[in-house]
Amino acid sequence: MHGSASIAGIGESTYYKRGESPQTEFQLACIAILRAVEDAGLALADIDGFVSYTDQRNIPVRLARALGLKDLRWTGTPWAGGGNSMAAAVQTADAAVSAGYARHVVVFRALAQGQFGRYGQAAGSGGGGAYMAGPFAWNGTYGILTPAHQCALHTARFMHDHRISQEALCDLALACYANAQRNPRALRYGQPLTREAYHASRWIVKPFHLYDCCPENDGAAAAVVTTTERARDLRHRPATIIAAASGIGPPFGTFDGHSLGSAHYRQVGMNLWQQAGCGPQDVDVAQFYENFTGPVLMALCEMGFASPEGIEEFVADGRLIGPEAELPFNTSGGNIGEAYIHGFEMINESVRQIRGDSTCQVANVERALVVAGPGYSPGSAVLFGAPE
Amino acid sequence: MKRVLGENWALPTLDAANRGFFTAGVLTLQQCRHCKHIQHPPEDVCESCQSFELGTYESAGSGRIESVAVVTQAVHPLLADRVPYAIVLVSVADAPGVLVAGNVVGKEPDAVRIGDRVRVVFEEAKDPRSGADLKIPQWEVVGE
Repeated sequence: MHGSASIAGIGESTYYKRGESPQTEFQLACIAILRAVEDAGLALADIDGFVSYTDQRNIPVRLARALGLKDLRWTGTPWAGGGNSMAAAVQTADAAVSAGYARHVVVFRALAQGQFGRYGQAAGSGGGGAYMAGPFAWNGTYGILTPAHQCALHTARFMHDHRISQEALCDLALACYANAQRNPRALRYGQPLTREAYHASRWIVKPFHLYDCCPENDGAAAAVVTTTERARDLRHRPATIIAAASGIGPPFGTFDGHSLGSAHYRQVGMNLWQQAGCGPQDVDVAQFYENFTGPVLMALCEMGFASPEGIEEFVADGRLIGPEAELPFNTSGGNIGEAYIHGFEMINESVRQIRGDSTCQVANVERALVVAGPGYSPGSAVLFGAPE
Repeated sequence: MKRVLGENWALPTLDAANRGFFTAGVLTLQQCRHCKHIQHPPEDVCESCQSFELGTYESAGSGRIESVAVVTQAVHPLLADRVPYAIVLVSVADAPGVLVAGNVVGKEPDAVRIGDRVRVVFEEAKDPRSGADLKIPQWEVVGE
């Protein structure tokens, strides 16, 4: 902890619209891992651990066999339901290499929703839709079926309590799209969004327009975590893991009706800043996982960047857009603009910012923050730093 | 009362934890027999005193809308002719801390507001699989 581990290599597949990947999900995972290992200047024989998160079908033993590893000494996956574990996965790899359980751990996420079905679609409806069983009965019986529905209920309450207008949601979508215009990897590259087009787009579930919802994509991204000491001898400038936090404090809520109007990131924020010995004002560039725009407003507040009363102004007037923004935000385009790789594209973007080779490069980056999926808990965040 | 989302929309699979809620015809919540804590959805353990002795509480069934969203894009074919419909989370007056999900009757979806006062009403349905008579709680707006 506190800088003992770093990301030494990153890689990703081409990102595709849902169902358009010519490769299987497992092949996408292999592509991202091979590129990350090569980027680090390592060989596959150096890799001895795998960490992923959320419904990960590409299991470590299958990967180790397919990639011809010499030794597999660490596997792990954080315990949670979605993109909320994205930063916790990096934390898990940090713990492994810092403790010496493994030397080079690959953290990755691969998803081919064309091959395996849609992640967020009508959970529990069981295809036929005739019955809602177990935990799905409480919501599904009432047509509350997707993360969009759950996040809309919580966003509506947050907007009501703090008099936040639709423009705040629009501003987040505009920032993601604007930054994606600089990034040729981004699926929304060459497709700028205007405020007028946002408001003219169809509603999915009020208060979410089409552009408040991230797309569903096929692709994979991976990063190699090793000790900072070893990383210094490798090809690139290490992106040091200064601090990482995951968890939730009381109330132990999630977007299932246990609490309202929170992204459940207060405890993650306090824990992260305490470990890091710095605060939001010290962040040079931030990536916030946007499943939907609304929960990001809550996460920004709970991580300490703004008050709920000030959040609308904080995101307004292009304050999040471009490398010279007041808070450079989702600089690759994020889930909405670059691709929905369950947020892992944000880990790689943060490493690029530390290295100095982002397509939306912020000057002199010393602190790069990633905040994982809001609302579904336990949440997680990781703060990367430039080497001392 | 007919079903808000249509007679063909999915029914809950009845189990020990939800049978009272979906069949009693009274808003039936889980209550700890030991410390009287009320919690929803039901859990195997009392979240207040950790007792396993859990029973039921019959609520008077009045509440307040704590949040509302309006679903405009159907994500299931059976809901295609049911959009737009309002989804709500309701706090229950005599069960502090409890939030119950539902739909709204008696008001257009776009007119439902946070803070609206509601009372429980029941959809009636026959479960063709178990033969049970279901009485599914829903919410009628009674004041603003």
